[in-house]
Amino acid sequence: MASNGGGSSPPSVSSPDARQSSPLPVTNSSPTEPTRRSGGRRRRGSASPYASSPSLGGFETPPHPGRRTPSGAGAGAARQQRQNWTGRFPPTPSTPMSTDDIPPSSDAGEDETDGGAGVDATPIFVWGTNISVQDVNAAILRFLRHFRDPRDAGRVDPVMDEGKYMRAIHRILELEGGESLDVDAHDVFDHDPDLYSKMVRYPLEVLAIFDIVLMDLVARIEPLFEKHIQTRIYNLKSSICLRNLNPSDIEKMVSIKGMIIRCSSVIPELREAVFRCLVCGFYSEPIMVDRGRVTEPHICQKEQCKATNSMTLVHNRCRFSDKQIIKLQETPDEIPEGGTPHTVSVLMHDKLVDAGKPGDRVEITGIYRAMSIRVGPTQRTVKSIFKTYIDCLHIKKTDKSRLHVEDTMDIDNSRASKSTEEDFLSDKVEKLKELSKLPDIYDRLTRSLAPNIWELDDVKRGLLCQLFGGNPLRLPSGASFRGDINILLVGDPGTSKSQLLQYMHKLSPRGIYTSGRGSSAVGLTAYVTKDPETGETVLESGALVLSDKGVCCIDEFDKMSDNARSMLHEVMEQQTVSIAKAGIIASLNARTSVLACANPTESRYNPRLSVIDNIHLAPTLLSRFDLIYLILDKADEQTDRRLAKHIVSLHFENPNLEELEVLDLPTLVAYISYARKYIQPQLSDEAAEELTRGYVEMRKRGNSPGSRKKVITATARQIESLIRLSEALARMRFSEVVEVRDVVEAFRLLEVAMQQSATDHATGTIDMDLIMTGISASERQRRENLVAATRNLVMEKMQLGGPSMRMIELLEEMRKQSSMEIHLHDLRSALGTLMTEGAVVLHGDNVKRKVPSSSPILSFRASLPHTARPTFSTAVAASLYLHPQPSRCPWGQPGTTSLGGCHTRLRPDLPIDETGRPDEAPAAVTPMPPLPQTLVNQPRRPAPSTCCLTRPQQPSPLRQWSFLLARTGNHIAISEEWGRPCRLPSSSPHVGRSQALGWGGALSA
Amino acid sequence: MAQQAHQAQERWREEEQEMAGSAAANGAKTGCHYSTHPLSSLHCPLVPSRLAFPPPLESQTPAREGNRREEMVGPQYDLVGNPLGAVRATFETTAAAAAAESEGGDPAAAFRGKDWGACELFRSFIFEEGGIDKVPVLNASNHGLIKPNTLVRYHGMVQDMLGNEYYIGAFKDGSTWRTNKFTDFSPFSMPHPCNSHLWERHLFHCVPAPGQNSWTLESSPGPDMRRMSNCISTDVREKRKRDGEQSDSDAMDVSENRDEESSLVCKKPKEDDVHVSSGSTEVAESVPEVNGGECHIPGSSFSCLVKIYDMPDSQVKLNDVIEFFGVYTFDPELAAPSDNPDDIMLDLIEDVTVQLPPSKVPRLHCLVWRKLLSHDFISRPPVAEPSPTLLKGIRQSLLSHFTMVLGNDELAAQCLLLHLLSRLRNRVDVVTVGRLSLNFTGFDRESASIFGNQLYSLIQKLVPYSQAIPMSIEYLNTATLQPRKDNKSGRLIPGVLQLPQGSHLTFDETLLQTGALTSKGVENTMLLKNLMESQKVDYDFEYYKLEMATDVQLLTLSEGKSNILPSDLVVPFRPSSVPTVNADAEELESWRWYLATVRSLPQANEPETYQMIQDDMVSAMRDDRSLGCSELSRWLTMAQIMASSFGEKSLSLEHWQMVKELERLRKERTQ
Repeated sequence: MASNGGGSSPPSVSSPDARQSSPLPVTNSSPTEPTRRSGGRRRRGSASPYASSPSLGGFETPPHPGRRTPSGAGAGAARQQRQNWTGRFPPTPSTPMSTDDIPPSSDAGEDETDGGAGVDATPIFVWGTNISVQDVNAAILRFLRHFRDPRDAGRVDPVMDEGKYMRAIHRILELEGGESLDVDAHDVFDHDPDLYSKMVRYPLEVLAIFDIVLMDLVARIEPLFEKHIQTRIYNLKSSICLRNLNPSDIEKMVSIKGMIIRCSSVIPELREAVFRCLVCGFYSEPIMVDRGRVTEPHICQKEQCKATNSMTLVHNRCRFSDKQIIKLQETPDEIPEGGTPHTVSVLMHDKLVDAGKPGDRVEITGIYRAMSIRVGPTQRTVKSIFKTYIDCLHIKKTDKSRLHVEDTMDIDNSRASKSTEEDFLSDKVEKLKELSKLPDIYDRLTRSLAPNIWELDDVKRGLLCQLFGGNPLRLPSGASFRGDINILLVGDPGTSKSQLLQYMHKLSPRGIYTSGRGSSAVGLTAYVTKDPETGETVLESGALVLSDKGVCCIDEFDKMSDNARSMLHEVMEQQTVSIAKAGIIASLNARTSVLACANPTESRYNPRLSVIDNIHLAPTLLSRFDLIYLILDKADEQTDRRLAKHIVSLHFENPNLEELEVLDLPTLVAYISYARKYIQPQLSDEAAEELTRGYVEMRKRGNSPGSRKKVITATARQIESLIRLSEALARMRFSEVVEVRDVVEAFRLLEVAMQQSATDHATGTIDMDLIMTGISASERQRRENLVAATRNLVMEKMQLGGPSMRMIELLEEMRKQSSMEIHLHDLRSALGTLMTEGAVVLHGDNVKRKVPSSSPILSFRASLPHTARPTFSTAVAASLYLHPQPSRCPWGQPGTTSLGGCHTRLRPDLPIDETGRPDEAPAAVTPMPPLPQTLVNQPRRPAPSTCCLTRPQQPSPLRQWSFLLARTGNHIAISEEWGRPCRLPSSSPHVGRSQALGWGGALSA
Repeated sequence: MAQQAHQAQERWREEEQEMAGSAAANGAKTGCHYSTHPLSSLHCPLVPSRLAFPPPLESQTPAREGNRREEMVGPQYDLVGNPLGAVRATFETTAAAAAAESEGGDPAAAFRGKDWGACELFRSFIFEEGGIDKVPVLNASNHGLIKPNTLVRYHGMVQDMLGNEYYIGAFKDGSTWRTNKFTDFSPFSMPHPCNSHLWERHLFHCVPAPGQNSWTLESSPGPDMRRMSNCISTDVREKRKRDGEQSDSDAMDVSENRDEESSLVCKKPKEDDVHVSSGSTEVAESVPEVNGGECHIPGSSFSCLVKIYDMPDSQVKLNDVIEFFGVYTFDPELAAPSDNPDDIMLDLIEDVTVQLPPSKVPRLHCLVWRKLLSHDFISRPPVAEPSPTLLKGIRQSLLSHFTMVLGNDELAAQCLLLHLLSRLRNRVDVVTVGRLSLNFTGFDRESASIFGNQLYSLIQKLVPYSQAIPMSIEYLNTATLQPRKDNKSGRLIPGVLQLPQGSHLTFDETLLQTGALTSKGVENTMLLKNLMESQKVDYDFEYYKLEMATDVQLLTLSEGKSNILPSDLVVPFRPSSVPTVNADAEELESWRWYLATVRSLPQANEPETYQMIQDDMVSAMRDDRSLGCSELSRWLTMAQIMASSFGEKSLSLEHWQMVKELERLRKERTQ
């Protein structure tokens, strides 16, 4: 040993090469000593001799050079190698201090070992261990030859006659692709626990033997096979936490999980050196790198030359192998509270280089090593400190701890997702499946969601649906339907909305938690920046894009700037964010469920006002939420008492939350992610029928004989919501089929949400118009009555073109006539309506009757109802305000007309441009093209019926055009917000190339 | 020689008494403790104020060092001047005893991860025998003056955890087992590997606690080091060259040994041992020039790499403030740039300590440590047991002082008192119980500068750690609040919000103008908000965020109710006079004690009271529908703090009513 180390290059106890390669335990066959050592010495547990061996520095393990050198060919090479290897054992050091000897296994004499090792009758031990080379050799051979996968046991197949690994070897030989044999450590254990424990304790030695046996085997099967096959062990029985690695693990095989945080560049490492004589040009034979250093020949080997010190290294003839160092960090879940993650360096060779990239979670099987540190580059002293690293044998990517980011939205990924199915350990899956079979799983899940938040069960059910999500659908035509469920929580302060949000954020994949108040449009959407170095424009994405395939939790939604909110229109229906800035036009995916919470405008919900007034959100946006929950603080002694008890118990430090059977967070997350990944429920026929029936009923409810008014109870958007909800509910049961009960529950959820949010407080009925427009049907009725009364009054009291009247006077008159209570602002809005009709002219407070003109406005409205299969949606509602200039109004006469097969109707009650002067009208009004055929002539559609007409709550004087087009399918042609002025471009004869409806582009310009 | 030393000492003491009477007296008082040792006359310079007097004799006679170590068997070690001697001696005796017992077995293996009595020795010396005052405090001003391999103490916050380090803990040197524990560098050549044991220790990067107020430092005096600087440095520097030569040759020896047959090393343990150890002692004694000026810059952050032994991993937590007693080591050889840059391989295996050069970051091998609570900063606790009457008295004086500082606004003073006494008591999922962040509204820039400054300087004098943060757009957009892990360097880069438990933060929001926040600004506000609401700070670990629980008191001064920092308690501030008063030191002392004591008072629970409070809550809710969960929860918090502010151990209805009255007055103002 000393001669070996000293002889090669004297002062290099810690030369860089020596450290680069593995500093190694001294393996030693000691034929002179076996008798002494087999004498049954005490086995010492922790203090393995290898714990300290690295300080030897200069010795390298045979496995590595041996394993990585495909030099030579066939069996000869392998045998030679082994003989080399055994021959290489240095003489015994004087005193082997620690011995872990155990008498050789009794089955050592089995005849399997027909390799060289078996010939020698004296057992050869690896120095300092209980490893008898022959025994291990035999055991490995037995394992490779005879191990049979228990899973194959049932099958009767001639090919199966061979063991699992023999087949693997054959496969490698046939394909000539593989250079490594993956060996499942569980298999080794099942076959031979003794071998397994030896392998884990003395991996360097055992693996070296493993390789040799393997090469022997290969050589016998296919003598011409040249490549070297390495053994890669994986799937150890127990994996150790990175944090718990300790000195006793050194030189042992360990399996750790972690996250790669850094990768070095690939380092070429010299394997074989070739020298050339500077005198005669003779090339030496390739010289193997032995234990980290190359012995440079002193003399030219050519007989004629024999020049001394003339050899020089020829770089391009040398052989190098790849090497890479990565840093592995503990995964967050292993870090104890108040700690920071530990890291460990991992050395990767050859094929393993670049197997993982930063951010990957991996499980690594390898050998834990330590090496001593030199004090300085010039000093030869060695510090008493060691650096540790893991020599990687096998790397496996593991799954994420949060919900799976991959979603079925990516159809291209479907292939990939299959392969990762193994990520879910089968026993875990079994447990989840068992859970899913529980009859009360739905309730149990509900309870498990934010168990510390008290009550709000229906809200939690809704949130649960959001977590599970519906099925996104992408048709071959390119149309896609979102599966994400958007939820809005509106409620009184102190009703733990924010806590619910926080909880959801924790639970959901790529969850982004943001506050409407704290975020600018930039933070919520994507924006463009310039790279400071290159000056290139770079796209950066904000919360919505970041939460792609996740849940974007927006707190204080009401405080959000209009700018940011307008972005949500696109996100919540199209699921994309479009940016057109600095010359980059991009549409980024933002397939995110939005969970927003808002406070009512007056900080507390005012039940006398409509929801719209309370929330003060644009109706267009509001309608994009599948569920709108009103979390109201109702006066109720019972609940108060429970609340008080809850608070007090919190402060008592013994919060006696009901000990219900709840799933813990990891289980819940696993449950959800499994469901999202593997369960894709389809609507059953019965469920579809139920859906249709329920929907029709919902719509009918407004038209019930009892009520005079026509109240719209449901829109086509709701039916999509219903489908999503029922799909989510089916997913909760791990059911591939959406059943009737899911649909029923979805209806119930929607109704619970709607009853709270869409109740017309004047009538008590559900009125989706309330959500859409902010004005309930009864209120509209009242206004219509008022307008009619005002019109009558104006007609009655005022002369055509006569003197103007003050508004106050008019009000007095009205009050005299009418039993209704009339306020000035009521009257003003009524007059505003009349003005749009062209009946009156308003100048400040003065009202003047106007010479009537023919139809000043055209209101356009079109609707296409849903079909029974509502994914082929739905309604188109457009209203269009035109300037009151009949001559410029190129199409349509007052009254109802039909345009492109759709029902259009003039609305007398629409506001008019207050200025009323033709000069300010847009220069040209381009005819509105007919609705595209694709939409109009959907073959399966029943006759169109009026769906709804939306209009802004408060007309803005600036507005000349105002648009709302509800989506058709999943396309929004124009997503222009209500109330925002937009001009028709005067010079544009063609009105836009729109995607679906034809006229969108120009208007939004 | 001994006489010379005595004379030198006398001379020194005279000078010292002139210059700093107290320190010398301190030294003299404690001096006689070790004089009973037979050899004490030899290294007597170490005895009285041993750090003041570098032992010139010792370094000149290296052989004696070795002898002395062997002779030191009794309990009288020079624990401050030569702690390693004590460590080794105890180890060797214990190991020898164990070896005798186990009959030639491996005694050292039993000591892995265990103390063999050395730490216990130091613990009793420091805490029981009053040795704490003899141990100098390592800080920026005396780093470089303190002799390496002596016992020091260091106060610091655990800023980063650098993982574990493996070292050869015990090894066989000839026939005796020796240890390397508590050193970086072995004075002995490393023997054959099978004769040694690899042990591990934890590395912590510690910094002075952010926002630590100056009064806390006064209360931890140690022997004054400053005076002696000239003596040590000149003395040592003269010898430096020679030392260097010698150590070089030693190093050669060592490596030659290593290259020889390992058995050879074993054969000549005696000479080798003495020789090498003397060399290293000298090396260790020299004071580096590298750390010359920069450490003495006042206020510069002075960090320390602490190595802790034999400790369960979770005992020390990030951001704990800890007092470490340990061996200060400095080794110029280790200080040299350690690796040649060509060695790319080492780049990633390299541990993070490389970026903490020993010349700037001292190494401390911790023998004993204890967590510092706010109690430990108070030098003279008035009484042992806080009695309610005493507490009530102090409460009254503190309250009246608050009232004066707050311009006669008694309500605000009451709230401030409750706020300063609040602490995080419980955490149930996302709900935090016990915190009470305070928002004084009604400030403009002018009044904020008058009252705010007064208030802040008062808080500074009362709590151990406090910081004032000017909340301006610019600050939000530029400041680094979030601690971030730099995976490249492997270090945790501190942010403003990396704070020790129990810190106090004052935000001046009057500086906040309208303006656009950058994304960083948004991120910072989110962090602050999260801190306010859940007392948690997200640390950025590049691939994920790690939530760290904190307990920070937050006070906001703003014009209107602050929405960026949603405080629990919003109090409109109505001053009626200008603050004038100043408190004297004694009062401050008692207030500090009061705050620290009351904050740590335990709360008992009496079900009857809580039942009554429950009933009261229900009726309150009936009267005022706007009362929500958060308000009621806050009331209860306030009531509990109110009770303990009077020194009561349990909440009574009376305190509940007081809080309700306080709330009523506060509500009146908000309307």
